[in-house]
Amino acid sequence: MSAARPVEQVLWWLAAIPATMVIIVGFGLPLVQSLVASFTRDGVLTLANYELVYRLYRQDVVYTVMVAAAGLVLTFGIGIPLSGYLRLRHSQTAEFLLKVPLFVPFVVVGHAMRIFLAPRGTLPSLLHALGLVSPDTTLAISEGWIGLPIALAWKHLALVVLLLMGAFRGVGEEYLEAARGFGAGTFRQIWAVLVPMAAPSIGLAAVLSLTSMLASFSIPLMMTKGSGPQMLMIDLYHRYGLHGDFGTASAIGVVSYLLAAGAAYYYLKGVMRQ
Amino acid sequence: MRRLVAVLVVLVAVAATGPTGYGQSRVTLQVAIAADVNVVEVHRNFLGVAFSKNHPTVGFNVVGTGTGEAASRAIYAKLKAQADAGRRNWDIDVALVSMRYAAQMARENLLHRFTSDLQFAPYVVGPDTVRAFGVDIKGYVVPMFRNQIAIAYNPHFVSKPPRTFAELETWVRANPRRFGYNGIRGGVSGIGFTMGWVFYKTGQYDLFVQGPYDKAHEGMIRSSVEQLREFNRNVTVTSGNAGTLDALNRGEIWMGAVWVDQLVAWKNEGRMNPEITPVLIGPGLPIYPLYLTVPREAANRDWAARYIDLVANPHIQAKVIVEQFGWYPGIDPNRVMPLVSDKAKALLFRGVTAEDLARYSRQMPLAEYYDFILLAYEEIVR
Repeated sequence: MSAARPVEQVLWWLAAIPATMVIIVGFGLPLVQSLVASFTRDGVLTLANYELVYRLYRQDVVYTVMVAAAGLVLTFGIGIPLSGYLRLRHSQTAEFLLKVPLFVPFVVVGHAMRIFLAPRGTLPSLLHALGLVSPDTTLAISEGWIGLPIALAWKHLALVVLLLMGAFRGVGEEYLEAARGFGAGTFRQIWAVLVPMAAPSIGLAAVLSLTSMLASFSIPLMMTKGSGPQMLMIDLYHRYGLHGDFGTASAIGVVSYLLAAGAAYYYLKGVMRQ
Repeated sequence: MRRLVAVLVVLVAVAATGPTGYGQSRVTLQVAIAADVNVVEVHRNFLGVAFSKNHPTVGFNVVGTGTGEAASRAIYAKLKAQADAGRRNWDIDVALVSMRYAAQMARENLLHRFTSDLQFAPYVVGPDTVRAFGVDIKGYVVPMFRNQIAIAYNPHFVSKPPRTFAELETWVRANPRRFGYNGIRGGVSGIGFTMGWVFYKTGQYDLFVQGPYDKAHEGMIRSSVEQLREFNRNVTVTSGNAGTLDALNRGEIWMGAVWVDQLVAWKNEGRMNPEITPVLIGPGLPIYPLYLTVPREAANRDWAARYIDLVANPHIQAKVIVEQFGWYPGIDPNRVMPLVSDKAKALLFRGVTAEDLARYSRQMPLAEYYDFILLAYEEIVR
């Protein structure tokens, strides 16, 4: 490959300006602004915002990480075997059904899950009709811990399957044939061949889902109640919308960046090693 | 290609001229509504249309900014930014905002004092048109309607509803998790209940509403909030006002703190068990009006004031605000209620009488106390 001529190089730089400006103005500037705001209160440099985050929301940081982690485990626990199975035994209908959640907005998922899982919602009513629970049992799965990861997993499964299917299809048929030749069953082919060979894509899908779950807002807003631990994005909204406290809201934002950056760091480290 | 460019040029030219291109005197009133879609619809489809009939040169652009305090905050942030930028002719002419942000905007000199010029100015009465959150708001606001927080109960399960906070406490102990409210994150009805609780436990309503703020009282507030934490152990915390109404409707809870207007509206729409009845309990629960305001540098301040005058017209208040939407009147009820049909009166005052309103309607505390109570709640109750 020959080096680009100077004129061409200038043109390339010019062409890159709009995109770079979008990143600087739309992402970099607000990032710096929120960083500065998180260390400022009434125009004075301070750690007060972080103190308040620690005092009021430290449980919520843990809660957010746990919910996202549970959602991730659930998504991949279902997504990997499912994508592997579909790679080995093609089914157009199943693939189509799996893609449906991609087109359902987050807020609709939140509302649907709230109705579905509410103490007297569709699922508990169904269980009652089947005689599995008594009508007075309140199954509080819509609230937090269990309901949220279920809803998040349902929404993210489609994207994960889409990414994994692509990666699994990239694995050459000869490897699978060889595995089958040694008597590997479906599970073994997925676990010993597809997963290791598609590891980078699985890592990418995991980072994408985890950051999206950490940042989820509308599903927790629709599904959770006004008490107990809460997802950080709700705290952020609450701090800003109700209290008009931009400083603390920014500090919560910075904590969220760090959580997301942590996930991305591990992924990048893995990629570099390869 | 050339034709495409021509079309674009024409489109840009039309967009830049806008409706004013048709005549110099034509104006478009920019109305920003920090409330639910139904309130946006009232301005768009009823009040705006009615006004334009008499003033054909005035058109309306009604925008809803959402619900809850965040919606009012969005309007505040926009006006503040225009003020800070030193801009003239701000782009909002009429803003409907919550009590809290109306007070904040009055304090920060973002509002135009306009009510003295109104035909119906004498009907703008009540303590909440004079002070809000400890700020002097007289002249800056006209309540579009008043909204009362009340305890709604299902008579099927509750034969003798409580009349005081103390009775409610006893009832909740005897009926665990059958009372619900939305905490402080789910909207102002839960916040109002919390404020009412602090008034009840501390017995210091006047102090908190009139001020001045004194840090010495923070201990008293914290201890009342600690008692609220105990109370909450037997309570169902719902997700928002609609969540409380839903839970009441499904029979999951038997009693809950709700907005009266939403209860009446849901009953009108057939979405709510008609048996559910509101009751106001002593020492009282906050009333929370939504105020019509005119920003200080609004481009069309005079038209804005005339439009608000229409909303303050007792006939409009009776027919649109009370009869059609089931809200309590924003202006002097003595001027409005004689014009309201008996049916609408019965619906509005079922459970909560006009006397109850006079006795038990409370104001929100000063901004500093309000913020401190919310902080204490977040820290102690969660």
